[in-house]
Amino acid sequence: MKSELQKGSRSRVLARLMFIIMAVFIARLFFLQIVQHDYYVGLADKEQIKRLTIPAKRGLIYALDGNTPVEMVMNETVYTVFADPSVTTNDSKIVDTIRQIAGGNARPNLDGLLRDKNSRYQVLATKITRAQADMIKAVGLKGVGFQENSQRVYPEGGLAAQVLGFLDYNGVGQYGVEGKLNDRLTGTDGMLQSVTDVSDVPLTIGNNNIKKPAINGENIVLSIDRNVQSHVEQALADGLKRTGATNASAIVMDPQTGKIMAMANLPSYKPGDINSVTDVSVFNNPIVSAPYEPGSDMKTLTMAVGIDKGVVTPTSTYNNLGYMDIDGIRVLNGVGLDHFGNITLQTAMDHSLNSGFITVAERLGDGSNITLQARNTMYDYFYNKFELGKLTGVEVTGEQPGTVIPPSDPQGNAVRYSNMAFGQGLDVTMLQVASAFSSIVDGGVYHQPTVIAGTVDGNGKYKPAAALPTHMSVSKSTADQVREMTHVTRNTLFSRSDMPGYEIGGKTGTSQTLINGNYNNNQTVGTYLGYGGNDTPRYVIMIQVSGKGMSLEGGRDAQPIFADISNWMLGYLRVQPKG
Amino acid sequence: MSYQNTTQFSSRRQQNWSRNQNTVAFISSVKLGPVAHTVLVALMITVLGLIYLTQATKATSYDYQSQKIDSQIADLNTKKSDLEVENARLTALESVKNSSVASTMTTPASTNYVR
Repeated sequence: MKSELQKGSRSRVLARLMFIIMAVFIARLFFLQIVQHDYYVGLADKEQIKRLTIPAKRGLIYALDGNTPVEMVMNETVYTVFADPSVTTNDSKIVDTIRQIAGGNARPNLDGLLRDKNSRYQVLATKITRAQADMIKAVGLKGVGFQENSQRVYPEGGLAAQVLGFLDYNGVGQYGVEGKLNDRLTGTDGMLQSVTDVSDVPLTIGNNNIKKPAINGENIVLSIDRNVQSHVEQALADGLKRTGATNASAIVMDPQTGKIMAMANLPSYKPGDINSVTDVSVFNNPIVSAPYEPGSDMKTLTMAVGIDKGVVTPTSTYNNLGYMDIDGIRVLNGVGLDHFGNITLQTAMDHSLNSGFITVAERLGDGSNITLQARNTMYDYFYNKFELGKLTGVEVTGEQPGTVIPPSDPQGNAVRYSNMAFGQGLDVTMLQVASAFSSIVDGGVYHQPTVIAGTVDGNGKYKPAAALPTHMSVSKSTADQVREMTHVTRNTLFSRSDMPGYEIGGKTGTSQTLINGNYNNNQTVGTYLGYGGNDTPRYVIMIQVSGKGMSLEGGRDAQPIFADISNWMLGYLRVQPKG
Repeated sequence: MSYQNTTQFSSRRQQNWSRNQNTVAFISSVKLGPVAHTVLVALMITVLGLIYLTQATKATSYDYQSQKIDSQIADLNTKKSDLEVENARLTALESVKNSSVASTMTTPASTNYVR
């Protein structure tokens, strides 16, 4: 039998041809599958594998209600309703439905938006709630879609606005705690890399799937007590009405921990409605961001320096002439304060006589001059021990350090330090002064001020924050003497303002403001700095009222606000009277 | 059906006599040719392939179920968050102050403390 594949036969030619074709195929497949393997795998992965971001939830911000955290800033899911006008059919029904359900969140010219048939995307309503979205979905409107968004909501409205801050359009925290603790609140987005189907549903097939869970932002609990904050804001509003001032600020601190229970400024704003704000300065928190010359509140600290250095006591006397001459410059007491002659420093404190505290400064030196040694001592206490002129580290944005000029500076001369003794010639913030005074009230222990009380974990459990470091500003004996001096001072002038049976102390401050480099008596800032409690002080309150071109006084204008808040605090904290 | 003796499968153990055990083995008279073997192998490969496919599809169907459950969880979480927001709004100080209960409350005239 003759072989089919004998040499030169057609079958043999065909077999060779097939072999060549197969060889070409194999070579091509080798090139595609082996040589270009990575390239085509890459293309396939690009087509099939999707990288999806798992967004981290921004942390909530809580305040306290007594000892219980309550939500102040939350996240809410809202929806944007959009339409594809080229697809929609029953436009009038869409318009009626959206207007009826979305109400004020609907765009004004819905008819016009839907008439634009060349457009594929028109927003019909924004920020509608889930319930509203469900109602619109139930109607089954053709060509209408929904986009889910998350926004911050503020159940308490404008309460503590300047402490909280807000989010900008990019979701980044601005001002307040939102700005300062943006990183802690933001968290870290997660990632899901997976083979997906045409509907982007992740599938478990494939070897390159990655799931990295999102780390949600921290839920932060503020030390702000919403009840105290609310009362303080109301008291400030009442105070502005009473005095006619345009600006008022108040801070309430727990002197035993440094925790800020309330921090309020007027005018203010609503974080959920920042578009209506016309003056962006209301976003600032002047308590931390506006250093000023604190005036006579500083006398408590000057007195503390003198007692702590052992050069004076509350009963030390001096001859009050109504003025003091320092390096040829006459520094006057306030107009009409009198009490001339040989008086005690307690009397000087009671009637806020500048001469008494310049005397303390002199006695820190050689007894009759504010020497370099005296200035160094004062600077050491003010700057290093009372932390004036430094950032406190409080957890809100915009904090300014202020300025306490050191004796080494040519401007840190005796005249300046004589002024500093009664609260002029240095720029400090209300928070710095209130924190320094708190250390006096708490037996000399300086607590770093904070607005953070703790955190709430994912299960809703509240975890209090660790205590911040402390240091002694003055000895306990010194602190107790100065505290008692302020108690006596308050009883001398304002005892009738207080509920009987409690220990309330305080000091007025009326400071001139600098206008074009000169002190102006016609524009003064009124402050009151005090504390309250029974045997144990429970709170420190500092009030400031001001207004352009207004002469405001600590005793007349700020003190009544202090009394309002102080008396309310005694009831709120259930402080029992002494005895 | 007829059988014939074979020695092909006789093991050493079977070669030894032991009580109550068969001492003979049988082979079938039906013989499978190469085509039948090929078909059987092809069938086995097909069955294995089908098993693989059903398992692969099953895994994917779990993906869809999982996705559906994830979606439900997300939906319920969103509803929970919305209810928490509503709860916070209803218990906010302004809401409480303006409530009908608050409007009928009075300020105490005096306070006594139990010691």
